[in-house]
Amino acid sequence: MLQQVPAVKDLIRKCVRCGQCRSVCPLFKEIKNEGAAPRSHVFLTQLLRDGELEPDSALARRASRCLLCKSCSKECPSGIPVDQLVVAMRNHLKDHSKDNVKRLLLSKLFKDQKSLKTAHFLLKTSQVTGIKSLADKTGLLGLISSDLEKANKLTAPVSGKMASKNIAEVTPAKGKRKVRVGYFLGCATNLFYPARAHATIEVLTVNGCEVITPKGLQCCGMPHIANGDVVSAKTMTENNFKLFYDFDVDVIISDCASCSSMLQGDYYDQLFAEGLPAAVTHFKGKIYDLNKFLVDEIDLNANLEKLPKTTVTYHDPCHLVKSQGIKEEPRKILKLIPGVELIEMDGADQCCGGAGTFGISHYDLSRKILDSKIVSIMDTSADCVTTSCPACSMQLGHGLVEHDLKLEVKHPVEFLAEAYRKVK
Amino acid sequence: MQSEQLVRELKKILSPDKVLYEKLDLLSYSYDSSFKARNNRYIPDAVVLPTSTQEVSEVMKFAYKHEIPVTPRGAGSGETCGALAVKGGIVMDLAAWDTIEEVDTENMQVQLRPGVVHAKLNEHLAQYGLFFPPDPGSSKMCTVGGMVANNSSGLRAVKYGTTEQYVLGLEVVLPDGKVITTGGVKSRAIKNVSGMNLTKLFIGSEGTLGVVTKIRLRLWPKPKARGILMAVYDDLENAPKTVLDVYKSGILPSGIEILDSSAIKAVNEYKPEINLPDAEAILLFELDGNPASVEWEGNEVARIAKNRAIKVEWSTDPKRMAELWQGRSVTATAAARVRPDGSRVFAGEDISVPLNKVTESLRRIKEIGKKYGIGVVNYGHIGDGNVHTAPVINPEDSAEVELANKLVDEIHRTAIELGGSTTGEHGIGAVRSQYAREEHGEALDVMYIIKKALDPKGIMNPGKLLPEREEQ
Ligand SMILES: Cc1cc2nc3c(=O)[nH]c(=O)nc-3n(C[C@H](O)[C@H](O)[C@H](O)COP(=O)(O)OP(=O)(O)OC[C@H]3O[C@@H](n4cnc5c(N)ncnc54)[C@H](O)[C@@H]3O)c2cc1C
Ligand code: SF4
Ligand code: SF4
Repeated sequence: MLQQVPAVKDLIRKCVRCGQCRSVCPLFKEIKNEGAAPRSHVFLTQLLRDGELEPDSALARRASRCLLCKSCSKECPSGIPVDQLVVAMRNHLKDHSKDNVKRLLLSKLFKDQKSLKTAHFLLKTSQVTGIKSLADKTGLLGLISSDLEKANKLTAPVSGKMASKNIAEVTPAKGKRKVRVGYFLGCATNLFYPARAHATIEVLTVNGCEVITPKGLQCCGMPHIANGDVVSAKTMTENNFKLFYDFDVDVIISDCASCSSMLQGDYYDQLFAEGLPAAVTHFKGKIYDLNKFLVDEIDLNANLEKLPKTTVTYHDPCHLVKSQGIKEEPRKILKLIPGVELIEMDGADQCCGGAGTFGISHYDLSRKILDSKIVSIMDTSADCVTTSCPACSMQLGHGLVEHDLKLEVKHPVEFLAEAYRKVK
Repeated sequence: MQSEQLVRELKKILSPDKVLYEKLDLLSYSYDSSFKARNNRYIPDAVVLPTSTQEVSEVMKFAYKHEIPVTPRGAGSGETCGALAVKGGIVMDLAAWDTIEEVDTENMQVQLRPGVVHAKLNEHLAQYGLFFPPDPGSSKMCTVGGMVANNSSGLRAVKYGTTEQYVLGLEVVLPDGKVITTGGVKSRAIKNVSGMNLTKLFIGSEGTLGVVTKIRLRLWPKPKARGILMAVYDDLENAPKTVLDVYKSGILPSGIEILDSSAIKAVNEYKPEINLPDAEAILLFELDGNPASVEWEGNEVARIAKNRAIKVEWSTDPKRMAELWQGRSVTATAAARVRPDGSRVFAGEDISVPLNKVTESLRRIKEIGKKYGIGVVNYGHIGDGNVHTAPVINPEDSAEVELANKLVDEIHRTAIELGGSTTGEHGIGAVRSQYAREEHGEALDVMYIIKKALDPKGIMNPGKLLPEREEQ
């Protein structure tokens, strides 16, 4: 129930409607009217809570117009977690939302590794023959909006095999084992960036980590939560933590900013009302973003070989910089690698507009935000873009293609892996 | 006129995407940051988003003809319901019209459209070594149009004064749609006493006389150096005394701010890294100018402050200065942090008292708070006697709301009694006009005459600034 969500119950009243959140919201910057201001979300949630508004599709549409980028929540002097209110709204309004198709696809395809295989196949087909023809074949045509047509371009090209195909459940540490790491291999890394997943494992093992990648892992639940499906998210969360618990891992890491912030419980307190099993609480404080883990938690092996001269720029994923306060760590990694030069872009911590599945339902809006990001990237003249989130990577990759730029998008760990490889 | 018809007509005047009428949009225009707007729903019939003088003028002509109220709006950061359609009709949102048209560096002025956000303007001007000195706590969101309409000021008013000191001329669309330029149609002069001062008439008129569509501001060279001195007190009453000591020594700081014990607590809760000392009160002096004078004045103020303060900290380190100054500028909203289940409310938040009555006003506000059992956080621009009071209540509890209203009334009356004003910078809007007769006497009648002359049909932001009962 909306009324029971702690932030809805206790924090809305602290919003003084000062409007400071207007100054940072990427969507407000584009839409430019009060209906798109974060404080409007707060106000409308209040009206819905108090019965001044009834749940309906108009409200669901409003709630869908948010990137969950947390810029506002971080800026707000009254401590209002606006994004959490939005998520609570989406959950409450799911029966009125047009995103049912999205939710259906998510619950069917982005669930576990078996369903991901189907997704992998479908994506491959659609990327070869176009989404229309795929939809024709599967009878989904009536459900496909024109936005979805545009959005098909958003997904990164899938080629070859999914990462999980070539990753054993247990990868031993190189040399003496120092720590047993649970690797949360997220759906997007698995599907679209298998090389990144392999780099993660390589770097971890070189640094004395035994890496556990359970076969039964399911999605982290962030896309489901973001689309109002709390029930699925909770089931998947429980499943994932139980797997890691049974493997008795010391810590859990992820190379996906959204996965790690979701696993850290970003939305649990607000939405998982009935509490969580012990396996989840057991890992409190033991879940890390990969960059953070490498820089702060272990003695990073600095025996690196020089790479060919490359300039890179770094984009801060919202779910790292705003959710987890991680800004310096990925940069430290990049600066550590001989041959790699980091050039900062303007507004590196500005949202790229991707926000998981937001770009699918609000392509044009998302595109505007993306375009200014691409301009900042172009201004650096860097050879390569780095970031720490596969969803951002896809969005940036899409923007680069649309602007006819032939830059690759990588995770800092991919450079690190390369530099280790050269040592041999 | 029926709402649907109104929207249809407006869409003929403006392109359809500049007219909002969906229920959820209209609801989003029913609030600003005032306490009153929390407890009432002022829902407009339509919202327009013009981005040219022509568009504003066309809307005004239409509204004038059909006698439809029009309420200009900037960012809606006002604290008085100023930008709300308390009588229904059209809200004219000018925030999206945010072009800086010309920076005339040789004449040290800028021309801009009303929606430019204050902080953005100064960010832009920095490259020319210039700045627009008034510095409201709402800098990140408020528009310059809103600042003109409210004659806003802020943390640096002590030395730099208020918005009116910087406005050289305005383009205004009058209620009947006519467009005028004040301060000289072609003038770029800085000094100008030709004609009646219409510019000043519109400044602070809270959108009740016309819509400001263009602003010509005088700029100042950005000072080369800056320093912040923090003085810590174990006795609240000693703080205002230090302020007078500093003035007597012949030093004019650019800002002097006070935070009482609860304000300190609120800031520390919000930004622990600022780490203000636990005390009864803190004064923050900002000094600016050339490096040598700033250093000298900083040491001098430190010497004077030590006579009454238990600790002083002088800093010219940019990081620390930013922290301290930000500590003060966020107090307005962060105040709520002192009570886990409460919120600050913007009411009775802006009294202004003579300098020699600051101590008394702070003491009396505390007493009034006690009387009603309401926690109050005090902070403000003590250098010019502008005391900001933040009652922290549970705004969802109607009994507390009622008590807060009584508290606020008493604070306002105290200000008048002490020879001050009910508002130093936030304005009257729909929340303080009941004190107008007491504050202005017969001058109020002249205000009615001016209003009637410029807005005979009473369509321009009705229900604001002037007491309603007497308006007809
Ligand atoms: C946290 C916080 C801190 C604040 N600190 C300060 C401070 O230090 N000093 C200070 O002075 N104020 C302060 N304020 C009050 C407020 O921010 C200012 O009054 C500000 O100038 C209002 O600007 P706005 O764009 O939000 O205007 P709005 O709130 O939208 O409108 C304010 C009034 O101006 C009128 N108006 C707006 N634009 C126009 C236009 N183009 N033409 C004609 N009329 C117009 C409206 O009708 C309304 O009456 C603070 C507010 C908050 C929430
Ligand atoms: S959410 Fe926070 S920043 Fe936004 S209006 Fe409310 S209090 Fe202000
Ligand atoms: S989370 Fe991001 S997109 Fe959503 S309201 Fe806040 S700032 Fe805007």
